[in-house]
Amino acid sequence: MKCYVCAKLGRDTDAVAICIVCGMGVCMDHAIREDTEIWEGGYPFPAKKIKHKLPRILCPECSHAMKGDK
Amino acid sequence: MTSLMKRSVAELVGTLLLVYFGCGAAVITLTTAARESGPLQALSIGSLGGLGDWLAIGLAFGIVVAAVIYGLGRVSGAHINPAVTIALFASKRFPLTDTVAYVAAQLVGALLGSVLFFLSVGMDAVTIGGLGATAPAVGITFGMAILAETIGTFVLMMVIMGVAVDENAPPGFAGLAIGLAVAGIITTLGGVTGSAINPARSFGPAIADLLLGGPNVIGALPIYFIGPILGAIIAVFFYDWIVKEN
Repeated sequence: MKCYVCAKLGRDTDAVAICIVCGMGVCMDHAIREDTEIWEGGYPFPAKKIKHKLPRILCPECSHAMKGDK
Repeated sequence: MTSLMKRSVAELVGTLLLVYFGCGAAVITLTTAARESGPLQALSIGSLGGLGDWLAIGLAFGIVVAAVIYGLGRVSGAHINPAVTIALFASKRFPLTDTVAYVAAQLVGALLGSVLFFLSVGMDAVTIGGLGATAPAVGITFGMAILAETIGTFVLMMVIMGVAVDENAPPGFAGLAIGLAVAGIITTLGGVTGSAINPARSFGPAIADLLLGGPNVIGALPIYFIGPILGAIIAVFFYDWIVKEN
């Protein structure tokens, strides 16, 4: 699979990952790896953040959309 | 997890809101009845609206319980009831240090809730409404009142176990189900014991009445500690036994 973002720019780069939201193939330059915090528990016990985070890979477009205007 | 100090503050605020709005509804029922029938009449909840009075008070309690569970549930667990905290401790689901801190915060929060309601409404809240303090109805003995409080809190704790503690409980419904259970219990048992089903809910108004010159109901307080704590502990062990697969 090729990197979709590079292909649109006229470059031919192998994809190293797939965006978990849109399924786009992305190269190392365009893959954005983000860690999501995981919370467990809740009423009637306090929720607690567990040590491990959930990693996920997004393309630049989806990453931007997920963050909104932040 | 949020620090114990912050979680205790959440319990304090949650119980404060419970007493302010729940007991506040009982006070307003009595002051409204006094306005309608004159202050010299012997007033009790139900004078004007019968069981409807208790339904309204029950709903006020139930709605604020649901609001606090949804608002603060993920922070502290929103027990806002020493009987619930002690029952979770008794079944080894909650640590001792946290239990002590939570119960202290709940009692202080309940007292603050009563004082704030007095500051909001004035002396009528104390002299006519008794700040919503609980006492058994005429003809209800100490033992009968403990039994009623035990059964009422048993139902409350059983619902908490079924909709929240149980890992198989459907998520998102705890606040609604528990709030409705509280409203239902109070509607029926309100005319029997005042239906505290929560030691803090009785403690706050009783102590505030003592400080502000209201009715002295301290003698009845043991009912509202023994009954609810007993009922909640029985419910936890009953639930654990009933769902255990052979």
